[in-house]
Amino acid sequence: MKKLGALIAVLVLAAVASIGLASCGGGDSADGGDGQKGGILNGTYASFPDFMDPALSYTAEGWSAMAEVYLSLLIYKHAGGEEGSEVVPGLAKEMPKISNGGKTYTLFLRPGLKYSDGTPVKASDFPYSLERMIQLNSPGAPFYLSIEGAEEFAKTKQGPIPGIKTDDKTGEIVINLEGPRGTFVNELGLMFVALLPKGTPIEDLSANPPPATGPYMITKSQPGKGWEYKRNPYWAKANGKAMPELPAGVIDGAKITVVRNDQAQVDDVERGIYDWMQNPPPSSRYAEVKENYEGSQFRVEPAISTYFFWMNTQEPPFDDVKVRQAVNYAVDSRALERIYAGQLVGSHQILPPGMPGHQEFDLYPYDIAKAQELIKEANPSDMDITVWTDSESPNNEAGEYFNEVLKDLGFNTTFKALNADNFATVIGNLSTPDLDAGWANWFQDYPHPNDFFQLLLAGESIQPTNNYNFSQFDDPAINKRITELGREQLGPEQEEAYHLLDEEIMELAPWAPFGTRTLSTFVSDEIDLDSVVFNPTFGHYLSSFEFK
Amino acid sequence: MEGRGSDAGRGPWALALRRLLRNRLAVVFLGVFLLIVVFVLAAPLWADEVAETGPNQEHTVEQITVDGEKKDVVTPEGKPIGPQWFGAGGKFFLGADGRLGRDEMVRLMYGGRTSLLVGISAALIATLVAIVLGLLAGYFRGWVDSVIARTLDTIWSLPVFLIGLSVGIALAVGGLKIGPLELSSGSLWNPILIISVFTVPYIARPIRGEVLALSEKEFVEAAVAQGAGPSRVMFGEILPNLASTVIVFFTLMIANSMLFEAGLSFLGAGVQPPNSSWGTMITVGVELLRIQPLLAILPGMMIMLTVLSLNIVGDALRDALDPRGKARLDAALQFEAQSGATRPVGEASLS
Repeated sequence: MKKLGALIAVLVLAAVASIGLASCGGGDSADGGDGQKGGILNGTYASFPDFMDPALSYTAEGWSAMAEVYLSLLIYKHAGGEEGSEVVPGLAKEMPKISNGGKTYTLFLRPGLKYSDGTPVKASDFPYSLERMIQLNSPGAPFYLSIEGAEEFAKTKQGPIPGIKTDDKTGEIVINLEGPRGTFVNELGLMFVALLPKGTPIEDLSANPPPATGPYMITKSQPGKGWEYKRNPYWAKANGKAMPELPAGVIDGAKITVVRNDQAQVDDVERGIYDWMQNPPPSSRYAEVKENYEGSQFRVEPAISTYFFWMNTQEPPFDDVKVRQAVNYAVDSRALERIYAGQLVGSHQILPPGMPGHQEFDLYPYDIAKAQELIKEANPSDMDITVWTDSESPNNEAGEYFNEVLKDLGFNTTFKALNADNFATVIGNLSTPDLDAGWANWFQDYPHPNDFFQLLLAGESIQPTNNYNFSQFDDPAINKRITELGREQLGPEQEEAYHLLDEEIMELAPWAPFGTRTLSTFVSDEIDLDSVVFNPTFGHYLSSFEFK
Repeated sequence: MEGRGSDAGRGPWALALRRLLRNRLAVVFLGVFLLIVVFVLAAPLWADEVAETGPNQEHTVEQITVDGEKKDVVTPEGKPIGPQWFGAGGKFFLGADGRLGRDEMVRLMYGGRTSLLVGISAALIATLVAIVLGLLAGYFRGWVDSVIARTLDTIWSLPVFLIGLSVGIALAVGGLKIGPLELSSGSLWNPILIISVFTVPYIARPIRGEVLALSEKEFVEAAVAQGAGPSRVMFGEILPNLASTVIVFFTLMIANSMLFEAGLSFLGAGVQPPNSSWGTMITVGVELLRIQPLLAILPGMMIMLTVLSLNIVGDALRDALDPRGKARLDAALQFEAQSGATRPVGEASLS
C-alpha cells in the first residue's frame, strides 16, 4: 500500500513539522541596535496585509504596516490611548477651516514637502490620490462619496471630481461636500487618502509600493512573505523639517517576516530571533506570555472593538424581536471571556469602551430561563438556522459556542466555519444562502461612534456585496437618527445622543454583542517596551521602537 | 499440534481461517481492532451513565467537584481541566477538550465512531464501485477498458490530498447538489464521497488485472459456451473468484480512508465542527499541545492503533486467502538472500 505509506508519512511529517515549527521558528537574527539609536528591527506578522497599497488596505495589518510610510493631510496623534484618537494636521499645515454650514473644508499643504523619490508633494496630488482610490474600487471609497461629484465619479470613473479645487502654488485644497458630514475630519485622517505622486499607476501596487511621505519608506515587498523599511531620505532633508512635531524614528529600518505559525512567533520573540510580533500571542500561550513577560516585554493594549453575534432581522426566526432578545439573554459573556483566554472583556452593547459615546449598560444579563420564556412566547415558525463563523481560533470556538446556545434554545442548527480570508466576503454577499446568524467583529476605523452605526446598522448600508450590515437591520427611525447625528460635529451632546442610540438599538437586539478585544505588544528583551507606542487606530508605530 | 494432513477435506474459507488464526500477530491486532470497535460503540453508554454529558455539550463556565474540591472546567485564562480519571466519578476522565469545556473522553469515543463510520463507508463505496469498474474493464476490454483505465489513471495522477482538500473545503461551505443528490455542508457524506472517489483506482486497477486473467480461464469459456450472458459471467462466475482480493482490499482501504479522513479533518476539509472525529480532535489538540499534550496525542494514538491493526489484519488476510502468493513472496525473499542482493524485497504491494 504505497498510498497508505505515503499518508502515514504525511501524518508523521506534519506532526514533526508542527513540533519543529513550534520549537524552531525562523528568520534572521536582528542586526542589533547601537545603543539608543539606529538598528534594524526584525519584526514578524502572522499574515501579509490585504494590500501594501495605502488606497486599498482595510485591515489592521495593512494600516499598522503603512502608518508611518504614507501620510494623509490629517493624521492621528502619534500617541496611545485616548490621546491617539485625536486628529491632528499631517501633510496639511493646520486643521481644516470648515465653512458653508459644514459643507466646505479648506486646507493648506505644508510647503517644501517631498516624496521619498524626490518628487515635490503638490496640492493637486490630493484629488489624484482620491480619484485613484475610487478608480481602484477601494473599500474606503464610501467614506468620500459625500464630496460633490464623487458619487458620479465612482460610477463613471471619469474625472475630475468637481467638489475638489486645488492650487499647487499656494498649496490650497478646498473640498466641497454635498451636505454636512460630522465624521469627515476623521475620514481625512485615514490612509485611503494618503498623498501619492500624480502618475502613480492605477493598480494594486502591493509588490511595488509607491513613494513615501512619512519617516520610513518600503524598499522591498514580497506579498505573502514579508517586506522591508528604510529611512525616507527626504524626511531629514525636507518633510521632517516641515513637520517637526512628528517623530523621525529611532531605528534605521525594519525587516518584517510573515510567520503564519503564531506559536513559532512567540518562541522566536522569546529567543530574540524576532524583536517584535505584531499580532497577539495565540490564546493557548497568552496566559503564559502575560505571566512571564508583563511589564518587561509584554503589555496589554486596549483595542476599540466590539465582538458580536449577528442575527438576520429580515428573515424568520430573527425577524421577531423577542427571539433576538432571547438570544441576547442566552449568550453568557463569561463563557466567551474564557474562550478568548483572557483577551476579551465581556460587554453587551454596541459602542466599546474608549469610543466617544460609550457608557456602560447591560440590557440582557445572562438569564437562560428568561431566554427560554421569550422563545416560548415568540413560538418561531422556522427553527432551522445556519450559523456562520470564521475558522480562525478562537473565533471558531466562539461560533461553536453560539451554535450550542441556539441549540439549547431549541433551534436546529447547521454550522459553517469559513476560512478567515474570505469569511467577510461570503457573509457580506446577500446571495449567499442561509445567512441566518453568525459571529463577527468590528475594530474602529476612526474614533467616532458613527463608524459603528452607519456601516453596520443603518438600513442604507445594506448592499448586495461587501455588505457589513450583517443583521440587515433596517429600522426607519434608527436610520433617521444615524443620518442626523452623522451630519453633526462630535461634542458632548452628540456623545450622549450616541449612547442613547446604542441603548435604543440594543432594545431591538439585532446583535448579541459579547465583548471587546484587547490586543498586545510583545517584544524581545532587546527592545525598550516603554518606548513602543500603540495607537488605537493604527497599531504599533514603527518610529517608536528603540533598542535598549 | 495438528499435522498438515488434518486440512484435508476442509473448504477454502475454513482453511483460510485456520491460516489466519495461526498468525498470532494478526490475532492480537484483530483483538485490538475489536476492542477499539467496542470502545467507540460504548460511547452513548459512557456519555449517559458515567460522564453525564453529550459529545458537543459545553461546560465552559461550569465547575466540577474533584475529591471534594471545586475545580473550573476551563479557567478564566482559558486553560481546560486535565484528566481527572475517576476523581469526579468518571466525569472529565481525560479532561476537557479545550476552551469550550467538552468532555474529552466522550468526544474521543464519539469521534472514533465518526472516524470508523467514514472509513468503513468510504471503503465500502470505493470497493463496490471498483468491483463494477474492474469487471467491466477486464471483461469487455477494448474501448470500455480504455475509457475506464484512462479515467482511473487520471484520478490516480491527481494530487489526491490537494484536490481532496479543495473539494472538501468547497463542500464544507456550500454542500453538494447534483440532481436529486443533495448534501448539506456539514454532512458526513461529503468526506465519505471525496475519499471514495479518490480511492477507487487503488482497488479497481488490480481487480481489472485479475479479471483480465480470470476471463481467460476454462470455467469462463465453459460458461460462455453454455450461453451465459456478460452479466452472468461477470457477476456469477468471475466475481466469486475475486472474493479474497476484495476482502483484503476492503480491510486495507478502511485504514487508508481513515487516514485520509484524519488528514482532511485536520486541515478543516473533512468532518465539520462541532462534530468530532479523531482528525478534528488532533486539530484542537495541536493548538493546546504545550498545556494539554494528551489532547493531540490520544486521538493520534487511536488513529495509529486502528490503522496499524487494520493493516496487519489485512496483510494476514492476504496471506491466509492466497497462500501461493505468500509462498511466491517467501521464495523471492529466499532467492534474493541467496543471490546476495543488497536491496531487501519488501512486502508485495497490493496497490
